[in-house]
Amino acid sequence: MNISLPLSRVSTSGNSLFSWLLLAPGMLFLAAFLVVPGILLIVLSLHDVDGMLMVLPTYSFSHYIEAFTSAGYIRALGTTLWVAALTAVLCVLLAYPAAWLLVSTRSRAWRTVLYVILISPLLTSVVIRTFAWIVLLAQNGLINDVLRRLGLIDAPLALLWNMKAVIVAYVQVMLPFAVLPLATSLGEIPAALPRASQSLGAGARHTFLHVVLPLTIPGMMSGAIIVFALAAGSYVTPLLIGGRLQPLLPIGIYQQALQIANLPLAAALSLTLLVVTAAIAGVMSYVQKRWERRVYGH
Amino acid sequence: MATDRDFTAPVSSIGWRWLGRVAGGLVYLFLILPVLVIFLSAFSPGAYPQFPPESVSLRWFQAFFDNRAWLKALQVSAWLLLVVTPLTTLLGTTAAYALARLQFRGRDVLQAFVLSPLIIPQVVLGIALLYVLTGMGLSGSLTGLAIGHILVALPYAVRTVSVSLASMDRRLETASMSLGATPAYTFRHVTLPLIKPGIVAGAVFAAVTSFGEVSVSLFLTAPGTVTMPVRIFTYIDQTFDPVVNAVSAIFIVLAVLALVLIERTIGLTKAM
Amino acid sequence: MSAIDIRGVAHRFGDLQALAGVDLSIAQGEFFSLLGPSGCGKTTLLNIIAGFLAPSAGTVVVGGRDVTNLPPHRRDIGMVFQSYALFPHLNVFDNVAYGLRVRKAKGEDVRARVAEMLELVRLSELAQRMPHQLSGGQQQRVAIARALAIRPQVLLLDEPLSNLDAKLRKEMQTELRRLLGNVGVTTVMVTHDQEEALGLSDRIGILGAGRLQQVGTPLELYRRPVNRFVGEFVGHANLIQARANGAGTFEASAHFSRAGVPLQLASSHAAGGDVLFLLRPERIRLSALSDYAQQTDAPNTVAGVVRDASYTGAELHVTVTLPGGGELVVEAPEAHFTDVPQAGAPVQLAWNADDLAVLPAESKGA
Repeated sequence: MNISLPLSRVSTSGNSLFSWLLLAPGMLFLAAFLVVPGILLIVLSLHDVDGMLMVLPTYSFSHYIEAFTSAGYIRALGTTLWVAALTAVLCVLLAYPAAWLLVSTRSRAWRTVLYVILISPLLTSVVIRTFAWIVLLAQNGLINDVLRRLGLIDAPLALLWNMKAVIVAYVQVMLPFAVLPLATSLGEIPAALPRASQSLGAGARHTFLHVVLPLTIPGMMSGAIIVFALAAGSYVTPLLIGGRLQPLLPIGIYQQALQIANLPLAAALSLTLLVVTAAIAGVMSYVQKRWERRVYGH
Repeated sequence: MATDRDFTAPVSSIGWRWLGRVAGGLVYLFLILPVLVIFLSAFSPGAYPQFPPESVSLRWFQAFFDNRAWLKALQVSAWLLLVVTPLTTLLGTTAAYALARLQFRGRDVLQAFVLSPLIIPQVVLGIALLYVLTGMGLSGSLTGLAIGHILVALPYAVRTVSVSLASMDRRLETASMSLGATPAYTFRHVTLPLIKPGIVAGAVFAAVTSFGEVSVSLFLTAPGTVTMPVRIFTYIDQTFDPVVNAVSAIFIVLAVLALVLIERTIGLTKAM
Repeated sequence: MSAIDIRGVAHRFGDLQALAGVDLSIAQGEFFSLLGPSGCGKTTLLNIIAGFLAPSAGTVVVGGRDVTNLPPHRRDIGMVFQSYALFPHLNVFDNVAYGLRVRKAKGEDVRARVAEMLELVRLSELAQRMPHQLSGGQQQRVAIARALAIRPQVLLLDEPLSNLDAKLRKEMQTELRRLLGNVGVTTVMVTHDQEEALGLSDRIGILGAGRLQQVGTPLELYRRPVNRFVGEFVGHANLIQARANGAGTFEASAHFSRAGVPLQLASSHAAGGDVLFLLRPERIRLSALSDYAQQTDAPNTVAGVVRDASYTGAELHVTVTLPGGGELVVEAPEAHFTDVPQAGAPVQLAWNADDLAVLPAESKGA
């Protein structure tokens, strides 16, 4: 997934009024429905609530204090980050052979098939992708059914409602986001480089470890950042597969907002999540940019 | 993406090459597994899928069309799609054009800003919108949902149109204006026809995104404005209805169709 | 024992026969160039020697060892690629050290050898730079240092100078000669630039349409090409179709003649029959002709009219039209002229019998 636009650096015509006018509708929309809500969210998070969870006109950091001192929320944040990181790592690991296959397939027909497999999930609703896992993992789901008929188990396995299932589902749902940038990175390695390595005496393994792998660091980082950010903010999948009791912050936010109706706390929690995720993603992005600058000069 | 290039592997590494291919193949199998499961279930006569399948049945599709609640959800989703797609495409096209043609400091920042809904956790987007729309009296309304969908789909439209703009020959615009046409006229008669593929791809993305949107929608729906994905969510959460399999199968087919459309317009490699 | 022995090597890509039956022996320490137009198969042959391609037929023996089916990393070769192929994520030092480290050389040995190589290519101060910070010429020298660091049996160069601009190319040619003369490694270079090949090589193999047309020293190829292809590829060529007239001389074909009087050619090399003569432009002597009537009918002389003259500073390239319609191109040192000949000026051309190289006659369409 690309978080940038192919904008050129050269302007052939001046900045016309027309162009500025065209910029307006999109910007107004985003200002109204992204910026303003963002600011209001910050304000909301600072409002107090009374015992009935009605919002009071007074302000305090009480929700943030609660977020950072309550063992439950700290654990949830920690688990969320841990799960997101693990998912990112697993995705990158699995993405490698997938990206390799994509890049080294000569036949155009097969490449299209692989693209379809990769991208069509991204165009399917996340509930559906998650639901498929429920069908697979449920007590009378497909896996249990097959295992039982093969005689490998007597009683159905409880495959759902645990964090492992959540992570498996995460990996499968977010894998395409790791494969695509990695495939781009792999595809950009000039063919002469592995050959040069070979001509210097390095076999396939050495060439891979010392030439190909390092040069795909930008692709791996890109993918890892995207997967990490997506996984950290995910709640639909873990809710459906792991159940409400999973200690994940996005689930907590969802519950606070829609079930307990403590909006200010939910706001504080979500801003905390946003800031922490952005900070980690920012660090990873910085590392990536520094690598690119060292190797390519830009 | 440079994947059309001939990525030649060294002569000696045939063994490694096959290992890589098998591993890659397994990963793709893993990726496609849920899809296969859904199709298996959608066409299975029983509530739970059997592997290998015994027979094929369309009863769950039938059940879907017989169920009023499902049809109502379909109606809501369809309405939203018809409203969100043109609006998103419009906003996306104008924004993409402006970002591509204007030069000013901070353009890169604005560009990142426009794409930001892609990486802001949807939980956060959901809550923020919920709060604001409640204040505006729009929470739970179709309008509110539409706003949420447009917000989430906009970056996709901007990106696809930007791709088209980048590959278009700008001298045609310059030529047009040197002949006396105003920028507006040039945009309408020269630019728009040339970036049609990007606009179409953007519309497809907007439609697909809206139709399948759930993470933000869950914060914005009310009992009267339940979309298909939201209904699926609440349904899975509470019961197990095999009709969901049929619905899912339909979604997947739509996704593949959308893919084909995007590939025909601007090409998959550039869209992502 | 020759350093490289290529026997019967042939290669097809699908329906395309890229190489057909190449036999070649390259001596130890020799600088050998594979020269030819694009598509002639020279890069294919280089890749086969390197091991990136397994030939459809034939064998490759390097240093007495049959390497035909060995992968590149076991062939003890060093290669410099057209794009230099420096590892962008490693600095100059690590690039040059790469092959040594693959062979598990010890730290001190690596340091010493890399320093020696960088000294050889005169880039010692740039050891810590990254490839993207180097100019094209510098990158190329690093590529050479990297390939030589491992003391390969054979050094392969794939169009090494084609990415450099003209002036740099001349400099690098001198540099290459110095470097490789120093090191003495058997070198095989692929190029389409005949000046480069002529300037650097001990011997050259000309490839055309997948076959070795001729192998020889630069002098041999230039003065005694075996066929038209070679004659025209290496240097400029005037080609004159002629037939023996039984009186010890040859008569040139119609368009070199004047009003029915055929041009007489006397050659010290050809005996009789139908012959295609090759005459190098710089062997023709050009003199002004004030009066057309003064022209002689002696063999190996002809009068004509200047069609075009271009002055390149050191030389004059003159195209002369002959009465029969044919043309001869003359190259003469600038010092021979006070003025550039004008178009339309009558001139006399003359050459020695020895200057006519003999090529196999062609049936039609000379």
